[in-house]
Amino acid sequence: MTEDVAEETPKENYFLLWLTAVVIFAAIAAIYLYVPTDKTEGPVQRIMYFHIPSAWLSFFAFFVVFLCSILFLWKKDREWDIYAHASAEIGVIFCSLVLITGPIWARPIWGAWWVWDARLTSTLILWLIYVAYLMLRSQTAPGSMRARYAAVLGIAGFLDIPLIHFSVLWWRAFHPQPKVITSEGFGKGLDTSMMMTLLISLAAFTLLYFVLMGQRVRQEKLRDEIDRIKKEKLYSH
Amino acid sequence: MHPYLNQIKAIVRKDLVTELKTRELFSSMFIFAVLVIIIFIFSVDLSIVKANEVGPGVLWVAFLFAGTMGLNRSFMLEKENGCLEGLILTPADRTAIYFGKLISNLIFLLVMEIFILPLFMIFFNVDLIAHLGPLLVVIFMGTLGFCAIGTLLSSLSSNLKTREIMLPILLYPLIVPVVIAVVKMTGQVLDGKSLGAMMNWIGLTLAFDIIYIGVSILTIDHILEE
Repeated sequence: MTEDVAEETPKENYFLLWLTAVVIFAAIAAIYLYVPTDKTEGPVQRIMYFHIPSAWLSFFAFFVVFLCSILFLWKKDREWDIYAHASAEIGVIFCSLVLITGPIWARPIWGAWWVWDARLTSTLILWLIYVAYLMLRSQTAPGSMRARYAAVLGIAGFLDIPLIHFSVLWWRAFHPQPKVITSEGFGKGLDTSMMMTLLISLAAFTLLYFVLMGQRVRQEKLRDEIDRIKKEKLYSH
Repeated sequence: MHPYLNQIKAIVRKDLVTELKTRELFSSMFIFAVLVIIIFIFSVDLSIVKANEVGPGVLWVAFLFAGTMGLNRSFMLEKENGCLEGLILTPADRTAIYFGKLISNLIFLLVMEIFILPLFMIFFNVDLIAHLGPLLVVIFMGTLGFCAIGTLLSSLSSNLKTREIMLPILLYPLIVPVVIAVVKMTGQVLDGKSLGAMMNWIGLTLAFDIIYIGVSILTIDHILEE
C-alpha cells in the first residue's frame, strides 16, 4: 500500500501538471494579449475571465462533494470521504475568489462593491454553507462519525442550492444576464475572441481543479498512512 | 394503532411530559423571543419605518432564534444519562426517533409562537386577528421546514464538543430560502393579500419541507449510529 502511493502518483501527476501549466499560460496570454478590451466596460471586464471560471469551478466542486457524500453513505468507503473533503476545500477557495473578484468588477461598473442581487446572495450563502461544512469537519475527530456527519451535510447543503436560487431570484435580481448560454443558442451573446478566451480560461481552471484534487487526496491518504504506521509502531508492544 | 405510530407517539409523549414537569424549555424560549423583539424595537425606529414592513422580519428572527434554543435542547436532553443510547437500543426504527423529535420540537415552537403573536400585535400595533387564518398557515409551514432540517442537524450537533455554537452555524445558511419565503409571505398576509396570490412562495416552502423531511429520513440512520 505504502509503495503504491509513493511510486504511482508522480508519473501521472506530472503529465497533468504540465498540461495544466501550459493551458494556464495560454489562458493568461489570451486574457491579457489576445482578447480585445471591452468597448463599454473597459479593461476591468477582463476580470470576468477569472470570475466566471471560478464560479463554474466552485459549483462543480460542490457537486462533487454531493456525489461523493452519497457514495460515502452508500459504500462507507473512506476514499469517498477524502474526495468530498478535498473537493469542498477547493470549492470554498474558488467560491471565495468569486466573492472577491465580483466586487472588484462591480465597483466601477455598478458603482457599489456589493448589491443584494440574486446571484451574489446565493453565492454568499453557498460559501457560508460550505465553510460550515469545513468547520464541522475540523470540529470532529477523524473517523467514521466525522465522515458520516460531513456526508449528511454535504447532501443537505447541495439540495438547498435550487431552493436558495429561486428564493433569492424572487427576492430581487440585477446581475448581468448570462451571455454564454442564451435563449438564441450557445455563445451568441459574446464576441468570438471573448468566447475563445473564456473557454481557454474555463479549461485552465478545470484542469487546475483536478491537479489540486490529486494533490489534496494524496496528502490525505499519506496522512492516513502515517496515522496507521504510528498506531502500529506505538501500540504494538 | 400501527406500531410505528405508537413509537412516534411514545417519544412525543415522553418529551411533552418532561417539559410539562420542568417547563424550563418553554419559559426560556418564550422570554428569549420577547427579548429579541424588544431589542429589535430599540434598533429600528418605528416612527420612521412602517410596522408592516419590519414587523414580519422581526417576528421571524425572534421565532428562529428562540427556536434554535429549543432545537439545541432537544437532543442535548437525550445526551444526559445516556438517554439517546437507550432510544437507539429500543427496537424502534431510527426514523421513528426522528419523527418523534420533529413533532415534539414542532409542538414546542408552535406553542411558543402562538404566545408571542399577541405580544407582537401589541408592540407593533398591527392587526393580526383579521388575517389570523392565512398567518397561521404560513407560520405552520415555515416552522415545519425549520424543524425538519433543525431536528436533523440538532441530532448531529449534539455529538460535537461545541454543540451550541455549531447548530446555528450549520443551520442558518441552510434555512435562508425558508426565511425569505416566510418573511415575504407574512408581509403579504399582513397587507391583506390572500394565500392564492403567493403560490410561488408557498410552493417553495412546501418543497423545502418535503425535501428536508426526505433527506432526514434517508440520512438519520447514519447519524444515530453508535
